[in-house]
Amino acid sequence: MSTLGFSEEQRDCLQEIINVAMGLASDKLARFLNTFVHLQVPSIALVGASHIPAEFENRYQDTEAALVSQGFFGNEGVRGEAIVLYQMENAHKISALLGYEVGDVSEIEMLTDISSILTTTFLNGLADQIENSLSYSAPRVLSSAKGDISSLLKNTSFHWEHALKVDISYQLIDHSFNCDMILLIPGEAVTNIQRILDRILEEY
Amino acid sequence: MALPVLICDDSLLARKQVRKSLPESFDAEFQTAGNGLEALAILRSQEIGLVFLDLTMPELDGIGVLEVIKAEGIDCFVIVISADIQPEMKKRVMELGALAFIHKPVNEEKLHSILKQYGLI
Repeated sequence: MSTLGFSEEQRDCLQEIINVAMGLASDKLARFLNTFVHLQVPSIALVGASHIPAEFENRYQDTEAALVSQGFFGNEGVRGEAIVLYQMENAHKISALLGYEVGDVSEIEMLTDISSILTTTFLNGLADQIENSLSYSAPRVLSSAKGDISSLLKNTSFHWEHALKVDISYQLIDHSFNCDMILLIPGEAVTNIQRILDRILEEY
Repeated sequence: MALPVLICDDSLLARKQVRKSLPESFDAEFQTAGNGLEALAILRSQEIGLVFLDLTMPELDGIGVLEVIKAEGIDCFVIVISADIQPEMKKRVMELGALAFIHKPVNEEKLHSILKQYGLI
Protein backbone atom coordinates (compact mmCIF):
# COMPACT_ATOMS: atom_id res chain seq x y z
CA MET A 1 0.00 0.00 0.00
CA SER A 2 1.77 3.09 -1.15
CA THR A 3 -0.54 6.04 -0.65
CA LEU A 4 -2.44 8.06 1.88
CA GLY A 5 0.08 7.97 4.67
CA PHE A 6 -0.19 4.50 6.14
CA SER A 7 2.89 3.69 8.20
CA GLU A 8 4.64 0.36 7.63
CA GLU A 9 3.23 -0.93 10.94
CA GLN A 10 -0.30 0.11 9.97
CA ARG A 11 0.11 -1.56 6.57
CA ASP A 12 1.33 -4.81 8.15
CA CYS A 13 -1.54 -4.75 10.62
CA LEU A 14 -4.17 -4.18 7.92
CA GLN A 15 -2.63 -6.88 5.71
CA GLU A 16 -2.73 -9.43 8.54
CA ILE A 17 -6.34 -8.59 9.41
CA ILE A 18 -7.24 -8.96 5.74
CA ASN A 19 -5.38 -12.28 5.47
CA VAL A 20 -7.35 -13.69 8.39
CA ALA A 21 -10.65 -12.41 6.94
CA MET A 22 -9.75 -13.86 3.54
CA GLY A 23 -8.98 -17.21 5.17
CA LEU A 24 -12.52 -17.31 6.55
CA ALA A 25 -13.99 -16.39 3.16
CA SER A 26 -11.91 -19.06 1.39
CA ASP A 27 -13.02 -21.72 3.82
CA LYS A 28 -16.64 -20.77 3.23
CA LEU A 29 -16.14 -20.74 -0.54
CA ALA A 30 -14.40 -24.13 -0.42
CA ARG A 31 -17.35 -25.61 1.44
CA PHE A 32 -19.78 -24.06 -1.03
CA LEU A 33 -17.88 -25.40 -4.05
CA ASN A 34 -17.02 -28.63 -2.27
CA THR A 35 -13.36 -28.36 -3.21
CA PHE A 36 -10.07 -27.24 -1.77
CA VAL A 37 -9.13 -23.62 -2.38
CA HIS A 38 -5.47 -22.73 -2.63
CA LEU A 39 -5.18 -19.48 -0.74
CA GLN A 40 -2.76 -16.81 -1.81
CA VAL A 41 -1.92 -13.70 0.17
CA PRO A 42 -4.23 -11.04 -1.28
CA SER A 43 -2.37 -7.95 -2.36
CA ILE A 44 -3.96 -4.78 -1.08
CA ALA A 45 -3.68 -1.15 -2.12
CA LEU A 46 -5.47 2.02 -1.17
CA VAL A 47 -6.13 4.42 -4.06
CA GLY A 48 -8.37 7.32 -4.97
CA ALA A 49 -11.76 5.99 -6.11
CA SER A 50 -11.52 8.00 -9.31
CA HIS A 51 -8.58 5.84 -10.43
CA ILE A 52 -10.62 2.65 -10.25
CA PRO A 53 -12.14 2.60 -13.76
CA ALA A 54 -8.76 3.10 -15.43
CA GLU A 55 -7.01 0.55 -13.20
CA PHE A 56 -9.39 -2.26 -14.07
CA GLU A 57 -10.09 -1.33 -17.68
CA ASN A 58 -7.21 -3.39 -19.05
CA ARG A 59 -8.02 -6.57 -17.22
CA TYR A 60 -11.71 -6.53 -18.03
CA GLN A 61 -12.04 -4.56 -21.25
CA ASP A 62 -11.73 -7.38 -23.77
CA THR A 63 -14.04 -9.75 -22.06
CA GLU A 64 -17.58 -10.02 -20.85
CA ALA A 65 -17.60 -9.01 -17.25
CA ALA A 66 -19.90 -8.91 -14.28
CA LEU A 67 -19.86 -6.65 -11.29
CA VAL A 68 -21.62 -7.41 -8.06
CA SER A 69 -22.06 -4.56 -5.63
CA GLN A 70 -23.14 -4.61 -2.01
CA GLY A 71 -23.29 -1.79 0.52
CA PHE A 72 -22.13 -2.23 4.12
CA PHE A 73 -22.62 -0.18 7.29
CA GLY A 74 -21.05 -0.47 10.72
CA ASN A 75 -20.20 1.53 13.85
CA GLU A 76 -17.56 4.27 14.15
CA GLY A 77 -18.32 5.59 10.67
CA VAL A 78 -17.25 2.39 8.97
CA ARG A 79 -19.29 2.15 5.78
CA GLY A 80 -18.80 1.60 2.11
CA GLU A 81 -19.62 -0.43 -0.94
CA ALA A 82 -18.00 -3.76 -1.75
CA ILE A 83 -17.59 -4.61 -5.42
CA VAL A 84 -16.57 -7.98 -6.79
CA LEU A 85 -15.48 -8.05 -10.43
CA TYR A 86 -15.46 -11.20 -12.52
CA GLN A 87 -14.53 -12.10 -16.03
CA MET A 88 -17.51 -14.10 -17.24
CA GLU A 89 -15.13 -16.73 -18.57
CA ASN A 90 -14.08 -17.37 -14.97
CA ALA A 91 -17.66 -17.33 -13.79
CA HIS A 92 -18.54 -19.99 -16.40
CA LYS A 93 -15.86 -22.29 -14.96
CA ILE A 94 -17.46 -22.06 -11.54
CA SER A 95 -20.92 -22.57 -13.04
CA ALA A 96 -19.66 -25.76 -14.65
CA LEU A 97 -18.19 -26.91 -11.35
CA LEU A 98 -21.54 -26.39 -9.68
CA GLY A 99 -23.47 -28.00 -12.52
CA TYR A 100 -25.11 -24.89 -13.92
CA GLU A 101 -25.62 -24.62 -17.68
CA VAL A 102 -23.54 -21.91 -19.32
CA GLY A 103 -25.71 -18.87 -20.00
CA ASP A 104 -28.33 -20.13 -17.62
CA VAL A 105 -30.32 -17.34 -16.00
CA SER A 106 -29.39 -18.82 -12.65
CA GLU A 107 -25.74 -18.04 -13.34
CA ILE A 108 -26.60 -14.55 -12.11
CA GLU A 109 -27.88 -16.13 -8.90
CA MET A 110 -24.70 -18.10 -8.61
CA LEU A 111 -22.61 -14.94 -8.97
CA THR A 112 -24.71 -13.29 -6.31
CA ASP A 113 -24.16 -16.27 -4.01
CA ILE A 114 -20.42 -16.40 -4.51
CA SER A 115 -20.03 -12.64 -4.15
CA SER A 116 -22.10 -12.68 -1.06
CA ILE A 117 -19.96 -15.44 0.44
CA LEU A 118 -16.81 -13.56 -0.45
CA THR A 119 -17.89 -10.12 0.66
CA THR A 120 -20.01 -10.81 3.71
CA THR A 121 -17.75 -13.53 5.15
CA PHE A 122 -14.71 -11.42 4.42
CA LEU A 123 -16.19 -8.22 5.83
CA ASN A 124 -17.63 -9.96 8.90
CA GLY A 125 -14.18 -11.44 9.56
CA LEU A 126 -12.69 -7.99 9.19
CA ALA A 127 -15.33 -6.41 11.44
CA ASP A 128 -14.87 -9.05 14.16
CA GLN A 129 -11.19 -8.32 14.41
CA ILE A 130 -11.74 -4.59 14.77
CA GLU A 131 -14.62 -5.18 17.19
CA ASN A 132 -17.22 -3.78 14.87
CA SER A 133 -20.30 -5.33 13.33
CA LEU A 134 -21.75 -4.71 9.91
CA SER A 135 -25.06 -4.85 8.17
CA TYR A 136 -25.53 -5.16 4.43
CA SER A 137 -27.81 -4.03 1.68
CA ALA A 138 -29.00 -6.54 -0.94
CA PRO A 139 -26.40 -7.30 -3.63
CA ARG A 140 -26.86 -5.89 -7.14
CA VAL A 141 -25.51 -7.68 -10.19
CA LEU A 142 -24.47 -5.58 -13.17
CA SER A 143 -23.17 -7.41 -16.18
CA SER A 144 -21.57 -5.91 -19.19
CA ALA A 145 -20.75 -6.82 -22.75
CA LYS A 146 -17.18 -6.42 -23.95
CA GLY A 147 -15.70 -2.98 -23.55
CA ASP A 148 -18.25 -1.62 -21.18
CA ILE A 149 -16.72 -2.26 -17.79
CA SER A 150 -15.17 1.14 -17.26
CA SER A 151 -18.50 2.94 -17.56
CA LEU A 152 -20.02 0.52 -15.02
CA LEU A 153 -17.10 1.21 -12.71
CA LYS A 154 -17.36 4.94 -13.25
CA ASN A 155 -21.01 4.97 -12.25
CA THR A 156 -20.34 2.84 -9.21
CA SER A 157 -17.21 4.52 -7.88
CA PHE A 158 -18.37 8.06 -8.60
CA HIS A 159 -19.87 8.65 -5.14
CA TRP A 160 -16.84 7.56 -3.18
CA GLU A 161 -13.52 9.11 -2.32
CA HIS A 162 -11.22 6.16 -1.68
CA ALA A 163 -10.95 2.56 -2.70
CA LEU A 164 -9.24 -0.31 -0.96
CA LYS A 165 -8.33 -2.80 -3.67
CA VAL A 166 -8.01 -6.42 -2.62
CA ASP A 167 -6.64 -8.58 -5.39
CA ILE A 168 -8.06 -12.06 -4.85
CA SER A 169 -6.69 -14.98 -6.74
CA TYR A 170 -8.01 -18.45 -6.05
CA GLN A 171 -6.58 -21.62 -7.36
CA LEU A 172 -9.09 -24.43 -7.12
CA ILE A 173 -7.78 -27.97 -7.49
CA ASP A 174 -8.31 -28.23 -11.24
CA HIS A 175 -9.36 -24.71 -12.04
CA SER A 176 -8.04 -21.26 -11.57
CA PHE A 177 -10.42 -18.54 -10.63
CA ASN A 178 -9.62 -14.88 -10.33
CA CYS A 179 -11.74 -12.01 -9.26
CA ASP A 180 -11.14 -8.60 -7.79
CA MET A 181 -12.70 -7.18 -4.72
CA ILE A 182 -12.83 -3.43 -4.32
CA LEU A 183 -14.00 -1.74 -1.16
CA LEU A 184 -15.17 1.79 -1.88
CA ILE A 185 -15.04 3.93 1.24
CA PRO A 186 -15.64 7.58 2.10
CA GLY A 187 -12.81 9.98 2.94
CA GLU A 188 -13.30 9.97 6.70
CA ALA A 189 -13.11 6.15 6.73
CA VAL A 190 -9.36 6.25 6.08
CA THR A 191 -8.73 8.26 9.24
CA ASN A 192 -11.08 5.93 11.10
CA ILE A 193 -9.24 2.88 9.81
CA GLN A 194 -5.88 4.38 10.83
CA ARG A 195 -7.21 5.09 14.31
CA ILE A 196 -8.51 1.55 14.65
CA LEU A 197 -5.19 0.09 13.42
CA ASP A 198 -3.27 2.23 15.92
CA ARG A 199 -5.53 0.98 18.69
CA ILE A 200 -4.79 -2.63 17.72
CA LEU A 201 -1.06 -1.91 17.45
CA GLU A 202 -1.06 -0.38 20.93
CA GLU A 203 -2.39 -3.64 22.35
CA TYR A 204 0.69 -5.52 21.14
CA MET B 1 16.17 -23.64 31.55
CA ALA B 2 14.54 -21.38 28.99
CA LEU B 3 12.95 -23.18 26.05
CA PRO B 4 14.33 -22.06 22.66
CA VAL B 5 11.27 -20.93 20.67
CA LEU B 6 11.01 -19.82 17.05
CA ILE B 7 8.09 -17.67 15.87
CA CYS B 8 7.79 -17.77 12.09
CA ASP B 9 5.32 -15.43 10.37
CA ASP B 10 5.70 -12.78 7.68
CA SER B 11 3.52 -10.40 9.67
CA LEU B 12 5.01 -8.42 12.54
CA LEU B 13 1.54 -8.11 14.08
CA ALA B 14 1.05 -11.88 13.99
CA ARG B 15 4.46 -12.47 15.62
CA LYS B 16 3.56 -10.00 18.37
CA GLN B 17 0.17 -11.66 18.83
CA VAL B 18 1.91 -14.97 19.56
CA ARG B 19 4.23 -13.38 22.15
CA LYS B 20 1.32 -11.58 23.77
CA SER B 21 -0.79 -14.74 23.94
CA LEU B 22 1.83 -16.71 25.89
CA PRO B 23 1.65 -16.80 29.69
CA GLU B 24 4.06 -14.44 31.47
CA SER B 25 5.51 -17.39 33.33
CA PHE B 26 6.46 -19.11 30.06
CA ASP B 27 10.23 -19.41 30.26
CA ALA B 28 11.46 -19.11 26.69
CA GLU B 29 14.15 -17.59 24.57
CA PHE B 30 12.54 -16.18 21.41
CA GLN B 31 13.78 -15.94 17.87
CA THR B 32 11.75 -14.82 14.89
CA ALA B 33 11.69 -15.58 11.17
CA GLY B 34 9.78 -13.70 8.45
CA ASN B 35 9.49 -16.61 6.00
CA GLY B 36 10.08 -20.34 5.66
CA LEU B 37 13.66 -20.07 4.40
CA GLU B 38 14.71 -17.95 7.36
CA ALA B 39 13.04 -20.46 9.65
CA LEU B 40 14.92 -23.38 8.10
CA ALA B 41 18.25 -21.58 8.43
CA ILE B 42 17.62 -21.26 12.17
CA LEU B 43 16.23 -24.78 12.57
CA ARG B 44 19.22 -26.34 10.79
CA SER B 45 21.83 -24.49 12.82
CA GLN B 46 20.35 -24.39 16.31
CA GLU B 47 18.41 -26.51 18.76
CA ILE B 48 14.83 -25.22 18.75
CA GLY B 49 12.28 -26.80 21.08
CA LEU B 50 9.07 -25.25 19.82
CA VAL B 51 8.07 -23.54 16.57
CA PHE B 52 5.01 -21.36 16.01
CA LEU B 53 4.52 -21.57 12.26
CA ASP B 54 2.37 -19.55 9.85
CA LEU B 55 1.36 -21.25 6.60
CA THR B 56 0.88 -18.56 3.97
CA MET B 57 4.29 -16.90 3.62
CA PRO B 58 6.59 -15.68 0.85
CA GLU B 59 9.77 -17.54 -0.22
CA LEU B 60 8.82 -20.82 1.43
CA ASP B 61 5.43 -21.49 3.00
CA GLY B 62 4.66 -23.35 6.22
CA ILE B 63 3.86 -26.60 4.42
CA GLY B 64 7.32 -26.45 2.82
CA VAL B 65 8.90 -25.94 6.26
CA LEU B 66 7.00 -28.92 7.72
CA GLU B 67 8.10 -31.10 4.79
CA VAL B 68 11.77 -30.28 5.39
CA ILE B 69 11.45 -30.77 9.17
CA LYS B 70 9.99 -34.21 8.51
CA ALA B 71 12.45 -35.17 5.73
CA GLU B 72 15.52 -34.08 7.68
CA GLY B 73 14.25 -35.40 10.99
CA ILE B 74 14.66 -32.03 12.74
CA ASP B 75 13.63 -32.53 16.35
CA CYS B 76 11.12 -29.86 17.44
CA PHE B 77 7.47 -29.37 18.29
CA VAL B 78 5.51 -27.36 15.70
CA ILE B 79 2.29 -25.49 16.40
CA VAL B 80 0.76 -24.14 13.19
CA ILE B 81 -1.11 -20.84 13.45
CA SER B 82 -2.97 -20.30 10.21
CA ALA B 83 -5.40 -17.98 8.43
CA ASP B 84 -6.12 -20.82 6.01
CA ILE B 85 -8.57 -22.82 8.10
CA GLN B 86 -9.86 -25.35 5.58
CA PRO B 87 -10.20 -28.85 7.10
CA GLU B 88 -8.09 -30.24 4.26
CA MET B 89 -5.24 -27.93 5.26
CA LYS B 90 -5.45 -29.03 8.89
CA LYS B 91 -5.28 -32.65 7.73
CA ARG B 92 -2.14 -32.01 5.66
CA VAL B 93 -0.48 -30.14 8.51
CA MET B 94 -1.22 -32.88 11.05
CA GLU B 95 -0.03 -35.58 8.64
CA LEU B 96 3.25 -33.71 8.33
CA GLY B 97 3.73 -34.01 12.07
CA ALA B 98 2.50 -30.73 13.55
CA LEU B 99 1.38 -30.87 17.16
CA ALA B 100 -1.61 -28.60 16.69
CA PHE B 101 -3.44 -26.38 14.22
CA ILE B 102 -4.67 -23.06 15.59
CA HIS B 103 -6.92 -20.65 13.67
CA LYS B 104 -5.78 -17.05 13.44
CA PRO B 105 -6.04 -14.67 15.12
CA VAL B 106 -4.29 -16.44 17.97
CA ASN B 107 -5.27 -15.57 21.55
CA GLU B 108 -4.42 -16.70 25.10
CA GLU B 109 -7.32 -19.10 25.33
CA LYS B 110 -6.43 -21.02 22.16
CA LEU B 111 -2.72 -21.17 22.95
CA HIS B 112 -2.92 -22.02 26.64
CA SER B 113 -5.08 -25.09 26.15
CA ILE B 114 -2.65 -26.52 23.57
CA LEU B 115 0.44 -25.74 25.66
CA LYS B 116 -1.17 -27.27 28.74
CA GLN B 117 -2.18 -30.36 26.83
CA TYR B 118 1.45 -31.03 25.90
CA GLY B 119 2.89 -30.07 29.26
CA LEU B 120 4.68 -27.03 27.88
CA ILE B 121 3.23 -24.81 30.59
